[in-house]
Amino acid sequence: MKRVTLFDYGAGNLHSLGKALAETGYEVRIETDPRRATETDLLVLPGVGAFQLAAERLAPAREEVRTALADGLPTIGICLGMQLLFDESEEGKGRGLGVIPGRVERIRSPRVPHIGWNSVEPSGEKAFARAGLDVAYYAHSFVCRPEDESVVTAWTTEAEDRFPAAVRAGNVAGVQFHPEKSSREGVTFLAEMVREALR
Amino acid sequence: MTLTRRIIVCLDVAGGRVVKGVQFESLRDVGDPVVLAERYERAGADEIVYLDISASAEERATLLDLARRTAERLFVPLTIGGGIRTADDVGRALRAGADKVGINSAALERPEVLTESAERFGAQCVVASIDARREKGGWRVYSRGGRTPTEREPISWARECVERGAGEILLTSIDRDGARDGYDLELTRAVADAVHVPVIASGGAGNATHVLDALRQGHADAALVAGILHDGVTTVGAIKTLLADAGVLVRRKAA
Repeated sequence: MKRVTLFDYGAGNLHSLGKALAETGYEVRIETDPRRATETDLLVLPGVGAFQLAAERLAPAREEVRTALADGLPTIGICLGMQLLFDESEEGKGRGLGVIPGRVERIRSPRVPHIGWNSVEPSGEKAFARAGLDVAYYAHSFVCRPEDESVVTAWTTEAEDRFPAAVRAGNVAGVQFHPEKSSREGVTFLAEMVREALR
Repeated sequence: MTLTRRIIVCLDVAGGRVVKGVQFESLRDVGDPVVLAERYERAGADEIVYLDISASAEERATLLDLARRTAERLFVPLTIGGGIRTADDVGRALRAGADKVGINSAALERPEVLTESAERFGAQCVVASIDARREKGGWRVYSRGGRTPTEREPISWARECVERGAGEILLTSIDRDGARDGYDLELTRAVADAVHVPVIASGGAGNATHVLDALRQGHADAALVAGILHDGVTTVGAIKTLLADAGVLVRRKAA
């Protein structure tokens, strides 16, 4: 049976995400060792904690993880997990995986963090329409600025800032919002992403 | 689009059970917070808050188990408040299944707990919970569930909480709490205008129009609602319909 692995940085709530992933019927494993986390059919980088601490957790195995992703390991990064796909972040020291060229910068909004339900405007990813997900739950202060905007598969806007709600580069996908906190439509969206990745 | 305004439903819990009577579609006092939280999610609640009012440490221990059971069934954000003392407590609550943690008295006694929590877990999960009471010429912050007056006033205290790392302010008017005669709009607006993080108005909702007032006149980003929903006075759906009709952006549940 195909296996989904949830990488655990050691901070935050993985229960809802684990449960949402388990609804797909695949075996879900939680792994704290980044090297072993890549021995899977689908890697999920969850979205809790601070950039620097998560980058430190990944650092000893950064090259192996990066190579696995570059070689086509299906991956879904959520919130901070999406930001870790990029090169670096204004939030803190440390290197991201750098599989999508670009930086992570502070959101340009009068109210930070950006917390609450905001739009998802798809530009390519079919899972959004299939799940009926057009508004999702966000909780973050930093946003991804890819060098090449063609990686963006959905956008959202807060105040004057339009930023990626989702990105994809080959088998590597990222979402800035929390599908596991975006009610039934979010859980369905996540299941669509997982099924697509493991097809 | 831009951020929608949120309706957050609060359940008072102790020993892992809901302690105030809840009337939900003719069901009285179901008692299990998980069942009620799920019902409110289906009704369109944007977030759920568990306020732990347990008196004893034994009761409190069951809170983490409750968070765990909830997180496996609830797919909107869960905030846990009440009795959180340290960054390690925050970590345990998050680990158990909370998405955000409310810190109140502990921050008043030792404000560094906000910074320590934000550095470890990110500002987005640190909610500074402020209880304020009106007095001559302004307001005063109270600790320990609204029982103990402090030397602080809520506007500068809210600012300090944000500087120290809080990512959200949950602002409760003690005078209005349970009175159902509307939120303290002046207090809400003063705090919302003073900080650059989202502010949740709490205390005083008697009807949907009060919620509209808190968001529009009070400049709040979200409104906490409890009694009027639990007693069946109104519903999340009815509140959101009124808000949408008034031109306030809200998340609508697909039918």
